[in-house]
Amino acid sequence: MTRRSLIRVIAVILIVLAQPAGPAHADLSRATTTPIEHFVVLMQSNHSFDNYFGTYPGADGIPAGTCMPLRSDSSSTDGCVQPFRLDKESAHDLNNGPGMQRAQYNEGQMNGFVAAYRDKELDGTRAMGYYDGADLPYYWNIADRFTLFDRFFSSARTGSHRNHFYWVAGVPTPNGAEQVPPGGYGDIPTIFDRLEARGVSWKFYVENYDPHITLRTPGSGELAGQPARVPLLNYQRFVDNPALFGKIADLSEYYTDLKNGTLPAVAYVASAGSSENPPSRVQAGQELVRSIASDLAQSRYWSSSAFLWTYDGWGGWYDHVAPPNKDAFGYGFRVPALLVSAYSRRGQVNHTELDYTAILKFIESNWRLDPLGDRDARSPGLDSAFDFTVARPPELVGTTRVTAAPSGHAPAVVYLTYGAGALFAAACAFGVMYAGRPTRQRRRRSDEEQS
Amino acid sequence: MGMAVTGDLDLDLAAAPTTTSVPRRGRWVLPSVRNGAITPMALILGTGAFLRLWALDAVGFNSDEAVYAGQAASIAGDPALSSLFPIFRAHPLLFQTTLSLQFLGGVSDVGARVLSVGFGVATIVVVYLLGKALYSVKVGLVAAFFLAVMPYHVVVTRQVVLDGPQTFFAVLALYCLVRFCTGRATRWLYATAAVFGLSILTKEVAAILVIAVFVFFVLRREFRLGWLAPLISVAILLAVVAVYPLSLMFSGRKSTGSNYLMWQFFRRPNHSLWFYVETVPAAMGFAVLVLAIAGLWLLRRQGSWREWLLGCWVVVPLVFFEIWPTKGYQYLLPIAPIIAVLAARTVVRGKFPGLSALRPPLARATRIAVIFGVGISMAVPSWQSVNPTPAPTFLAGSGGVPGGRETGQWIKANLPEGSRILAVGPSMANIVQFYGHRKAFGLSVSPNARSRNPSYEPVDNPDRQLRSRDLQYIVWDVYSSARAPFFSEQLMRYVQKYGGVAVHTETITVNGQAGSAIPKPVIIVYEVRP
Repeated sequence: MTRRSLIRVIAVILIVLAQPAGPAHADLSRATTTPIEHFVVLMQSNHSFDNYFGTYPGADGIPAGTCMPLRSDSSSTDGCVQPFRLDKESAHDLNNGPGMQRAQYNEGQMNGFVAAYRDKELDGTRAMGYYDGADLPYYWNIADRFTLFDRFFSSARTGSHRNHFYWVAGVPTPNGAEQVPPGGYGDIPTIFDRLEARGVSWKFYVENYDPHITLRTPGSGELAGQPARVPLLNYQRFVDNPALFGKIADLSEYYTDLKNGTLPAVAYVASAGSSENPPSRVQAGQELVRSIASDLAQSRYWSSSAFLWTYDGWGGWYDHVAPPNKDAFGYGFRVPALLVSAYSRRGQVNHTELDYTAILKFIESNWRLDPLGDRDARSPGLDSAFDFTVARPPELVGTTRVTAAPSGHAPAVVYLTYGAGALFAAACAFGVMYAGRPTRQRRRRSDEEQS
Repeated sequence: MGMAVTGDLDLDLAAAPTTTSVPRRGRWVLPSVRNGAITPMALILGTGAFLRLWALDAVGFNSDEAVYAGQAASIAGDPALSSLFPIFRAHPLLFQTTLSLQFLGGVSDVGARVLSVGFGVATIVVVYLLGKALYSVKVGLVAAFFLAVMPYHVVVTRQVVLDGPQTFFAVLALYCLVRFCTGRATRWLYATAAVFGLSILTKEVAAILVIAVFVFFVLRREFRLGWLAPLISVAILLAVVAVYPLSLMFSGRKSTGSNYLMWQFFRRPNHSLWFYVETVPAAMGFAVLVLAIAGLWLLRRQGSWREWLLGCWVVVPLVFFEIWPTKGYQYLLPIAPIIAVLAARTVVRGKFPGLSALRPPLARATRIAVIFGVGISMAVPSWQSVNPTPAPTFLAGSGGVPGGRETGQWIKANLPEGSRILAVGPSMANIVQFYGHRKAFGLSVSPNARSRNPSYEPVDNPDRQLRSRDLQYIVWDVYSSARAPFFSEQLMRYVQKYGGVAVHTETITVNGQAGSAIPKPVIIVYEVRP
């Protein structure tokens, strides 16, 4: 090697070594343990599992012969209320406070769903209403093609604040209270703190977001519930830190982030007008979910993303599964939860016992984060719903419910009829002619003999 | 007659053939290719097959091909296409059912076309038998040669359309009828009825040819049929044809076919009265047409029931389709083999005044020259048609749609499953559905049931469906736009209104004014997100 060549080699080595090494190390620390590099989670409002999927085939739905007594201390079925289809009827705003939950639960007997209302001199029969595939075609189509969880419980027995707090922090609110402490949630860590510390991108998208409504300025009217739906707005450090506060954004940014290629690794979504919170129309919620899922499917992120949505409580509706007592705060009744991803199992009804902390568990496992509490540490997570061996192509799910095979028995009819027709024609064209030959030959021989 | 076929094309062999190629009454004679005809027939079939198979996959399906192949795929139970193409649409399903057997091993557009080519090549064989039965081996050979290179037959039998197989069965039925007329054995009449039934099960308009045969028997009273044989024949015909309504009935559908016929009858004409005059003679070849017509006049003294039969076979469909509001390029295909036979009769049996008697070798050479001259006059445009220069316009039924297959394949590979697409018209929608495996609608399909082809599915309120994201993509194409400029403009208004972004452009290379190759966009896929 000449001296000039040696100098060139050394120069190349120095140039390579001089390349900034930081990002490579940072990428390694942010690397995911699964192909999921973007996880989108939406929280809707107030529907039980049986209310939405109680008649879904293959799911643990409404048991046959169910008839809810009018009085929980009576075993008589006289005057009981059977589950009935709500059809196009708007969901009723049922009482779903702690007392109602306890009365409906009735120490695990699960027979107070009507009686609890009767005791308050309310009708109560509406609690037994349910929707089916005709009313929720999009959700049911999603369940057909992706993954539906039928043992997904709300983390807290009642309370929007409590359940949303489990969703982000994995632990109960301070003292298990539904009210936010005067100074906010203090220094209780959230999943976003973990992500921030690890340098993993995140955003909290809020439908109809008003950045002026926080723990300090609660607001009024329809947007008064914004801090409850977005627990980060009840943290002083998230409100006061512009860098963190800037990551709480209007939902419209979700769509522009998808288009611009700036979707964060973890995206939480809180809905408002489309939350399905009774008496809101369930169709509005379907449209929101469809919009989020469809845009994800049409984006560059499909093969590296997962989208899960669930509900922040049962909303006072009937559900037949008694929730397990995990601790002093929960579980609450089952809620619907569905997973859409290139890696979710097609048409699977997942029976793993989960709550909101399963979402945290997945994030923690995927981005190598420390757990926030006992629940998420012990949660089985979402692994059983994924199959990472192959990425499914993107799919836009329609709003028309089609369950029957399009052709039915028509192919068999076609084969039988046309096959028979062709055979008959062939027999007429050729068989009849051949059948005539022996007769003709006999006649010819007879003629010859006579002559 | 013991006629030699080794190139002996002497003029004086034009004597009546009744004592040679016509079997004795009641005697069963299998249709066959005589030993001397094997070599020329092999060459003719090779030529015909070559023209029909050459570059068969150069251009993808057109709309009709997509529909018939889609139906076959549905019958075969293809999971992707079953939900996009209903089994029952407009026509009977004999060809689609046959094709579905092939599709059980996997759907292939080229494979489907090969089946059509098979029917086309088989038709050449039947035309040989027909010419031989009617006149002579030579007429059969020349007719087979003419049909083998005829652009009209070449172009249509390269496509997955019903007209090629329908013509095969129809000409086979005609051959059986000729055997009946020459031998008077009623078995051949029954065979005629059975094969006619298959022709109708392929495409119902073959019933027109049954009427042509009826007209022939009315005009030629020398065929006294009695009542039993025709009755049995009609019964056989009806029994075979009954498959069509029975399959509909057992599948729970009763009005598919009749709806389509009623719509065709009352629809606004899709072409002018001059359509067939402008397209079919050029497609068949002017020379072969002139030969056929000239022979009817020049050989009128040799005329017999044969020419009446062939004449009825040509005139009745011509009159019918001229009156019928729906006109299609390929609809007159069943008369193409007859034109070939009549032209062959002229060239084989015609006499050259003053030459045939005095200079037989020269007459023979002249005759050979005429045969090959006419053949070449058809073979050249056939060759051009199987090596088409891409153009931004095309006549429906005359070939594939450049860029359609490629666009569909791109859609299949790149757009999410379950995507719903809006195209200018149903033609491109069908192609997109077949190759793209995505539901597609034609904007030009009227939501008024009385104004649309009942086989087509309209899109109700496309504006709302785009706004509510039930339709996510728009496909514009230059071919449909040329036919339906109003709907093309409307489609592009939707693109602008809903922020359409072009995500794929399919181009073809066309020749510019200076002869240079110019890429021209023919199909554009837009993504719309209101």
